[in-house]
Amino acid sequence: MDIVYKIFIDPFVQMGTAPDLLVQTLWDGLVSGVLYALIALGFVLIFKASGVFNFAQGIMVVFAALTLVGLNEHGVPAFLALGLTVGVMLLLAFGVERLVLRPLVNQSDIILFMATFGLTYFLIGFGQLVFGGNPKVMIAQQLYLPSGAIEFKGLGGYVQFQKIDIAAVIITSIMVAVLAVFFQRTRIGRALRAVADSHQAALSVGISLEQIWVIVWFAAGVVALTTGIMWGARSEVDFSLEIIALRALPVLILGGLTSVPGAIVGGLIIGVGEKLGELYWGPLLGGGIESWLAYVIALGFLVFRPQGLFGERIIERI
Amino acid sequence: MRAPSAREAGLGEVLLAVENVSLAFGGVRALIDVSFDIRKGEIRAIIGPNGAGKTSMLNVINGFYQPRSGRIVFKGEPRTAMRPYAAAHGGIARTFQNLALFRGMTTLDNIMAGRALKMHRGLFWQLIRYGPALKEEVEHRRRVEEIIDFLEIAPIRKIPVGRLPYGLQKRVELGRALAMEPDLLLLDEPMAGMNLEEKEDMSRFILDVNHQYGTTIALIEHDMGVVMDLSDRVVVLDYGQKIADASPDEVKCDKNVVRAYLGEPHGTSV
Amino acid sequence: MVLHMAAGRNVISTGVVLDTLPKLLIHNADAIGSRPAIRHKDLGIWRTWTWAEMLDEVRAFSVGLAALGLKRDDKFSIIGNNRPRLYWAICAGQALGAVPVPVYADAVADEMAYVLAHAEVTCAIAEDQEQVDKILAVSDRLPRLAHIVYDEPRGLQDYDDRRLIGVAELQRLGRNALAADAECLARWQAGVAAGKGSDLSVILYTSGTTGRSKGVMLSYDNVIISARNGNAFDRLGADENVIAYLPMAWVGDHVLSYVQSYVAGYCVNCPETPDTVVQDRREIGTTYAFAPPRVYENLLTLTMVRMADASPLKRKLFEFFLAVARRWGEKILNGETVPLAARLLYGIGDFLVYAPLKNQFGLSRIRVGYTAGEAIGPEIFRFYRALGLNLKQLYGQTEASVYVTAQPDGEIYADTVGQASPGVEVKISASGEVLYRSPGVFVGYYKDPEKTAEVRTADGWVHTGDAGFFDPKTGHLRIVDRAKDVGRLKDGTLFAPKYIENKLKFYPNIREAVAVGAGRDFVCAMVNIDLTAVGSWAERNNVVYGSYQELAGHPLVYDMIAGHIDEVNRSLAEEEVMAGAQIRRFLVLHKELDADDGELTRTQKLRRGMITQRYAALVEALYSGATTADVSTEVTFEDGHTGTITARVEIRDARTYAARAAAVERAA
Repeated sequence: MDIVYKIFIDPFVQMGTAPDLLVQTLWDGLVSGVLYALIALGFVLIFKASGVFNFAQGIMVVFAALTLVGLNEHGVPAFLALGLTVGVMLLLAFGVERLVLRPLVNQSDIILFMATFGLTYFLIGFGQLVFGGNPKVMIAQQLYLPSGAIEFKGLGGYVQFQKIDIAAVIITSIMVAVLAVFFQRTRIGRALRAVADSHQAALSVGISLEQIWVIVWFAAGVVALTTGIMWGARSEVDFSLEIIALRALPVLILGGLTSVPGAIVGGLIIGVGEKLGELYWGPLLGGGIESWLAYVIALGFLVFRPQGLFGERIIERI
Repeated sequence: MRAPSAREAGLGEVLLAVENVSLAFGGVRALIDVSFDIRKGEIRAIIGPNGAGKTSMLNVINGFYQPRSGRIVFKGEPRTAMRPYAAAHGGIARTFQNLALFRGMTTLDNIMAGRALKMHRGLFWQLIRYGPALKEEVEHRRRVEEIIDFLEIAPIRKIPVGRLPYGLQKRVELGRALAMEPDLLLLDEPMAGMNLEEKEDMSRFILDVNHQYGTTIALIEHDMGVVMDLSDRVVVLDYGQKIADASPDEVKCDKNVVRAYLGEPHGTSV
Repeated sequence: MVLHMAAGRNVISTGVVLDTLPKLLIHNADAIGSRPAIRHKDLGIWRTWTWAEMLDEVRAFSVGLAALGLKRDDKFSIIGNNRPRLYWAICAGQALGAVPVPVYADAVADEMAYVLAHAEVTCAIAEDQEQVDKILAVSDRLPRLAHIVYDEPRGLQDYDDRRLIGVAELQRLGRNALAADAECLARWQAGVAAGKGSDLSVILYTSGTTGRSKGVMLSYDNVIISARNGNAFDRLGADENVIAYLPMAWVGDHVLSYVQSYVAGYCVNCPETPDTVVQDRREIGTTYAFAPPRVYENLLTLTMVRMADASPLKRKLFEFFLAVARRWGEKILNGETVPLAARLLYGIGDFLVYAPLKNQFGLSRIRVGYTAGEAIGPEIFRFYRALGLNLKQLYGQTEASVYVTAQPDGEIYADTVGQASPGVEVKISASGEVLYRSPGVFVGYYKDPEKTAEVRTADGWVHTGDAGFFDPKTGHLRIVDRAKDVGRLKDGTLFAPKYIENKLKFYPNIREAVAVGAGRDFVCAMVNIDLTAVGSWAERNNVVYGSYQELAGHPLVYDMIAGHIDEVNRSLAEEEVMAGAQIRRFLVLHKELDADDGELTRTQKLRRGMITQRYAALVEALYSGATTADVSTEVTFEDGHTGTITARVEIRDARTYAARAAAVERAA
């Protein structure tokens, strides 16, 4: 009985008695959810259009952030550095397409997946070579990203919103909206979906696979850069950032690997779920459940809806 | 009495010539020194028993396979190694024996995808969406709607094609090929798996495409009745070799053809 | 471009009586010119024409037709599915004093040739290549046919028959003539003004259930006065939206999608293709519906089939709320007092089930829906009313310009057809036949004065051919059956075949049923299964079949049908009058009854005589006690060529029940 009370009643009581804490936790969960979503988005883009699970997405985040900061350190003004970094990501996309994807175009998915492993280690090595292994500080100020916090007194206490978090939410939302419209309504968006569905048919319709892949990897690169800036501004820029990519895994399971809105919703659910779980149910289990709660949630979903919340259900007509 | 149609007027010049094409996979010789031509505006049937190399032939024309020897001359220009993208660019559209539709997309999107080559506005304009890219999209949507009207698939416009019955899927695939406004349309067993009524509809569409738009058609087909009704000339393949190349009536009576299908001399028609 | 004349407006001088449809058009273009008059979904988008634009189109068309030589009293034909240009053609011809003769679009060439020849049509307006081909195929039987005008040019470019001309081309000619010659417009307007209410406005050939079709002549007065009364009865105004999808040759469509629209000023919407009607209806949100029972039956069947495939949770929800609706829905619709709890429950049901369902059907915005043309199964009728759809029954005939009786709001019963419509008198003859008299009564049958005299008495009463009586409780008319079909069994028991057939047709699995028994010892039934419903059932129960015939002959299917027949017998047993007419033996037909084979009319009514003749072998077997019967029937395929189908059909006995007083045995 006591156990039941502790699990099902007490947490809600706690939520009710300290609403300011609840709101703070929800907000924090929202923010981390948005950031998870941003990472997941990179995976979704590449998987959707080329059928490849890009293990290197995490390191691309680091690489993009490092390039930005590195250029700035060498005296390049912030926004110019930003522009140049975008250019670098474009070059990276071209490079990946020509050197990795084109030679392996008819290979099975597992081979392509292994290739992204290779890409990861290459970028790690290359990045360390060029930028060194020391952690760096994100040039948030120079990019005019706000700092500080807004305090909101009420609900029996106070709630704090970091301005950078607000900026992150807004920027991510805009990015997602643009991507969603792009996929659904434009010719290239349609071509992207076509390539994801059937290479053979796409080729016969005259869609250039190479061109599409470059575009997709470039888009993923831009998403990686944004992720790098946001995460970097909240902590610091170093190679441990790539672990963040693993956080995206439960999000992808939840949201489906092929859905942009799925990545968002999945991210939010995991983000909020994690924070709430840690605060209210964590003590029951000795704390520290944040690290694995996400996976449990995701596994639960796998049982009922293997394609995720939003992923495409393949309906086979016999 | 009918006035001479666009097609009858245009028949004559060679649109595509297959010259001594040979193709092999490992030890298997799929095509052995095959030569024939396809005239502009005609409906050319390619027939033969299973495994004769018909689909391989289309794949060579389409650019999916490169011939080991020989060449394809398309619109007067010889090509030994034509990639699918180039074939599409050059005006060759194709349907597949086992369907290659974008199953997650709707009928409308599938056919719009066929307009890919015709849409030119670059990435930049597409990101902005309004302005030139939108105008282009609307114009192409109009053409696609005309095709939807032509193929009578308006009721399934918004349904993901993965959910459609087989006959309709084949029709959508035809629509996508038509959207490319091709000079040469390659149809790989368009009637496979259809009942009588569906076959009649499909035949009607193929004839209409040929008569009204003057599209040259090369078609692989097993149903002899369809071949007789639709085609102007027939090429017969067997074990990778060409064994006949003539009008439908002549081919029907050709001894070699009959033997290839039935395995023994037979007096009556196929 | 709208032609501006006489102080910039197309004006009918005040004081002119609007007694013809062209006059109404001109009036509408002036009074409500910017309101939508007609729409068509083409290439995926809805195109609208306002009344002013429509006048312009019709006028150009009309002048063009005049240039071809169409003049007063000429007959011209309209053949095709519901499209704006075909409706314009009707008015365009009427403006010249010519008489339109619409023909069923799915008529086979032979039927069409008969009508066109009988009506002495000089000009035919066809929708597309398919119809043009049909006309050309029989044109040797139509010496008077001088012109063939077509709407959709696809496929016709290579045809060089000199009679062919496109509508667009014709309108161009018309516009040029109007622009070039100032007198042209004046002449045209004078032609319109010369028309009067007593002129012939249309000839509609009724799909005869027996014998050849007859051409019902209706004057402008007939249709316009009926339409006015009809509009007033249901308070139809200029805001209505209807969808035009029923045959243009049927009086229901002619009045609903044409005359009533002109009189009230509301907008008619033409769907993209006959297959997209349900989607299109949903998009438009029609407010007024008018359809034969089959349409409502089909929607219901479709729903039941979909529900059977849905997840168990959805199904349970559906069944639960359907029961709620059955219990309270009609009462709420009728405005009776209902307990609050029930109202709440119904409200939840509305949110979860009824509203989405109505939305699927495209019936969300319907204020009034009529079912007419045939009696509707009471259970189906109640179903829709339970969902909150104001479905009402209407009884009418082509000869009456539709309206004979209709149910007023608030007095809706499942088994009546209402009270006499405004302006209509109804009486029952000594032999039980229903007679009526009204301003809508037809002028006569074209070129058939004997038949006219048979049907219409000297003082204007029309014999409907239906047997009926006035229900003492409600004062409403109740139709029992076709007068000549109501018969007796050998022992004198009343036998009303339609009554039994409607009960059977309520089941989604049964598409059509024929009850035989007049003058026989007992009643037998021949049943058609519904391929959609039974096919879906077969998929779910792993029943394999290769054709309709195989499915129809399957023992499990027979078991299922036997179950339905059993229930019907129980139901019949409860009614004293009908108890003796229970079904003793039945069989499932090997092929669907089809209008193309002459077994049904074009409006899907049974042709009893034809059926009993064709299937005489089966009928004999039914009464001889045999358990199987061999039958061989000739059929006509869609493209017109014929073939034969042979089958061995199983015959089974059914259980009958002793007559009981009502409500004693409510079957579980």
